[in-house]
Amino acid sequence: MKTKYILGFVLVIAITLSLGAYSATLGKSELVHFWVAVPAGNVTAPMVLRGAGPPISMSPIVIDLQSRGVLKNLLQPQLEGLSTHWIYNLGKKPVKVKLNLANVPPDIAVDWEVNSGFEFDAATHTFKTPLYPGGSVPNLGIDWVFHIPAYYMDEPVIYDGGLEVIDADTGAVLTFIPIKFVNGAASSSATQGGSCH
Amino acid sequence: MNAKETLIRNRWRYISFVVGFFLFVAPFALFTRAVYLIVGNTAEPTLHSVCFRMPIDWIFGGRFYSIFGSSWFMAAFVFGVIISSIFLGAAFCGWLCPVGAVSEAISRAVPIPNKFRLRIRDTKLTMSMRYGFLVGFIAVAALVGYKLASDQLGSICCRYCASSVLQNFASALFGDLSAIEYWQSGAIISLLFWLVIGGLFMSGGRGWCLFFCPLGAFSGLAHKLGARLGFYRIEHKPESCNGCNKCQDVCPMWAIKEDHNIERTLCVNCKECVHACDAYKLIRGRKIADS
Repeated sequence: MKTKYILGFVLVIAITLSLGAYSATLGKSELVHFWVAVPAGNVTAPMVLRGAGPPISMSPIVIDLQSRGVLKNLLQPQLEGLSTHWIYNLGKKPVKVKLNLANVPPDIAVDWEVNSGFEFDAATHTFKTPLYPGGSVPNLGIDWVFHIPAYYMDEPVIYDGGLEVIDADTGAVLTFIPIKFVNGAASSSATQGGSCH
Repeated sequence: MNAKETLIRNRWRYISFVVGFFLFVAPFALFTRAVYLIVGNTAEPTLHSVCFRMPIDWIFGGRFYSIFGSSWFMAAFVFGVIISSIFLGAAFCGWLCPVGAVSEAISRAVPIPNKFRLRIRDTKLTMSMRYGFLVGFIAVAALVGYKLASDQLGSICCRYCASSVLQNFASALFGDLSAIEYWQSGAIISLLFWLVIGGLFMSGGRGWCLFFCPLGAFSGLAHKLGARLGFYRIEHKPESCNGCNKCQDVCPMWAIKEDHNIERTLCVNCKECVHACDAYKLIRGRKIADS
């Protein structure tokens, strides 16, 4: 009789761990979450930025659309997203942060879904409140949803651009995180698993 | 008891479901909005702003800075729910949680014959599966949080999130259709298990609560402790029982044992059994009350 309970217990642990493993796979290809810090310059390789705040890991993001989950590829192959909950200022002076997605082809529409503890100007993609050294944008959630036309889906490289983090007062690009959407044979080293907050 | 009778007898609980929705789910999120107002937070609150799972993930993943950082209020809320369960039973789960309320409501509203709905009558089996998930959840949180297997495992907490799915549907319902535009595989799996398998095809519609909610599992343990100490709990009076098993049929949490006593770790003090049968009473204190 006890065996039944032990089996049930162990089976559900195994299912949960399997879901964790699947989550790691999905975290590299669907709604990839990544950290942003300024000033980091051009993030050409995985790096850990240290400064006024906590150490922040960043790396170029490569999303392989072929690595996405079966359900995603079946139901919504032409939509892919990126997300961040973390923008930190590790520099020495306050910065008004402006964001820009570089090199987006005109026929790929990108929706910006932003929720933030700082007021955000949706037209210019700029936070109106300065981000002080060591600080982060509070209660931040930004999702970028890319609408990829069907005729792009067979291309080896679908998007090759990146996120520019700009000082809105001077126009200087403080951090550039390259972002690539590819079809096959690549993986991202960004945060796994769809972590939040 | 037919559906109309059920609705009338449990009306306060179903009204409470609606209150829970308005308290936690955007565009209302009145509870969170009030807290944000007090602490001067200008972010737009959503159901996600008081995640019922992340603080548990943080603790076991060693992310204590998150608990004491800008999301302190989320952690305070979760601990508050668990501590309140000692005194009131898992009343948040049974009366206010919008995730459980929606799946239960959908289960009740869609007339699928019971023979097509799964129900485990052995409470020990249900319990062993519920706490199997909790152990797995904690293991993943620790292995990822302490970077022991962060390449092999990803977050259970955020990748499979019924709260996000509910919030997205609610936002769409109130005009923001972009909220249901993007679906990642984890969200699709959550939707399937929360509303379809756990909602429509599990008796009581609380499959997610039973097998996928760490806060519910902890609240169940707290309730078990509280019941032993004599705080609010539902008791079975065998002398009033005619063995009809109606109690087992109405319990959304599958918490009634074969002998009709209650498995505390599953019970959410919803009082469905109390309203269906005179053999059950919500009581406080060491002895069963007479009335």
